[in-house]
Amino acid sequence: MLKYLSVGLIIQLLVSGILFGTMYGIAAIGLSLIFGTMRIIFFAQGAMIVFFAYICYWLFTLLGIDPYVSLLLITPISMLLGIGFYYGLFKGAAALEDRVSSLLIAVGLIFFLENFMTVVWTADPRAIVTAYTSHVLRPLAINIPFTRLMALLIAVLSTVGVFFFLRKTLIGTAVRAASEDVVSTTLMGINPNWVNAIAFAIGIGLTGIAGVTLATVYSFDPVYGFIFALKAMIALALGGFGNVGGALLGGILLGLIESLGSFFVGAGWNEAIAFGVFLLVLSFRPQGLFGGSVEKA
Amino acid sequence: MGKHLLEVKGVDVLYGDVQVIWDLSIHVQEGTIVALVGANGAGKTTLLKTISGLMHARRGEILFSGRSLGKLKPQEVVDLGISHVPEGRRLFSSLTVLENLKLGAYPPRARSLFAESLERAFSLFPVLKDRQGQKAGSLSGGEQQMLAIARALMAGPHLLMLDEPSLGLSPIFVKTIFELIHTLNKQKVTILLVEQNIHQALKIAHQAYVLKTGKIAMSGRGDELLADPEVQKAYIGERWSKQ
Repeated sequence: MLKYLSVGLIIQLLVSGILFGTMYGIAAIGLSLIFGTMRIIFFAQGAMIVFFAYICYWLFTLLGIDPYVSLLLITPISMLLGIGFYYGLFKGAAALEDRVSSLLIAVGLIFFLENFMTVVWTADPRAIVTAYTSHVLRPLAINIPFTRLMALLIAVLSTVGVFFFLRKTLIGTAVRAASEDVVSTTLMGINPNWVNAIAFAIGIGLTGIAGVTLATVYSFDPVYGFIFALKAMIALALGGFGNVGGALLGGILLGLIESLGSFFVGAGWNEAIAFGVFLLVLSFRPQGLFGGSVEKA
Repeated sequence: MGKHLLEVKGVDVLYGDVQVIWDLSIHVQEGTIVALVGANGAGKTTLLKTISGLMHARRGEILFSGRSLGKLKPQEVVDLGISHVPEGRRLFSSLTVLENLKLGAYPPRARSLFAESLERAFSLFPVLKDRQGQKAGSLSGGEQQMLAIARALMAGPHLLMLDEPSLGLSPIFVKTIFELIHTLNKQKVTILLVEQNIHQALKIAHQAYVLKTGKIAMSGRGDELLADPEVQKAYIGERWSKQ
């Protein structure tokens, strides 16, 4: 195998890895925000992504709405749904600071969504096929599928958007403050429910965006999301909990590891390598690979 | 002396099943400095937490400007004009000095006055102006205490509650903090002060309460209590005699 190795191939592997990893990255940013304020890993993140991939699929097949145009609908809907989830499902547990209940609710949500999606859309894999689905850009003889390039672009824009929201707005600053000390934010006059709801709005909003990019790039089925959420968790661990830029980089790094791993070791080892890296990072650098030890957002 | 700004009437406060405050009553007159002193575990911090809504009384009531605070949440209490600087300061250490101050002015009532409040904070604490872009966690202990007080003032409080503001500070900063409390009081801010530095606290307090295991053991004017042989013996003693 190694005798076929060329610079072009290496670059191709790296590019594929980066493009692949950006989706883990957006999911990881959502996990990071919800973890920051609620202190739980929102495992239903992956199921939500697949759910929105189906919504995107429906909008495309039933109404003929282009997937990228559907972002204009899906992003606000998913953000509202995030706020609804918080007030409807998690508020009571959050008030009691009961993380076990919050975690169980998230797990319950996974099973609900997976079964709901199986009933509505069946267990058969679905994919969106548009005029540009198989379009491949070939700069310098490297294959860059158009939809994956768009996924990268969307991921970077979302990250920049979230970053500026957290840095430049008062409520964004409040979200960062709450991920440090919720009690202290209440003494500032900040309603903790509102901050949690904002974190959910962004976290679930990002699943909407990731769902659209997923639908344009891969075929998916109702249970595809769970492993995706686990991968996002690995990306989060690589980037460091509570660090938005790090979460995206962690996703990209994971994509690279998988891309190189599946070429050099074999695709069957993909998950083993990913989780091996996860364990190594948590053991030796639990604060993540990027930035300082307690650096936030 | 004006009317009562804050009245605590016969409150019982419990942590789970453990009662830490028993039928306690205090009042704070507008424009005064009131000190709460006493040993560790006497219930001073708990009383402040109960006033600011972090905890709730099992029995009794707390009136602020004649209005019962009832079961109000902390974010509602601060909007009424009570700011609480908690023990240990609880700054947002990864946020900048300026961001901490911005969050201090979060209540709707305070937000429109942000520019004026910021100017006032910077004139009271010039060092914060120089360090506004730095992370709060990078400040020295004394500077952090100044920031914690400045942040609480950003809400434009009528009543400022300070929990152990001099704890862990060097003597020079302790002096600065007490001078500051005096200055703020001159600017019409009513102050409820919890302090382990009993000598200093009684010196500046108009009114003081000595708490003992959740009850008022003694009360009176600060200078009276300072001169009281029993207080001297029990709480001040050798340690503070040099100050």
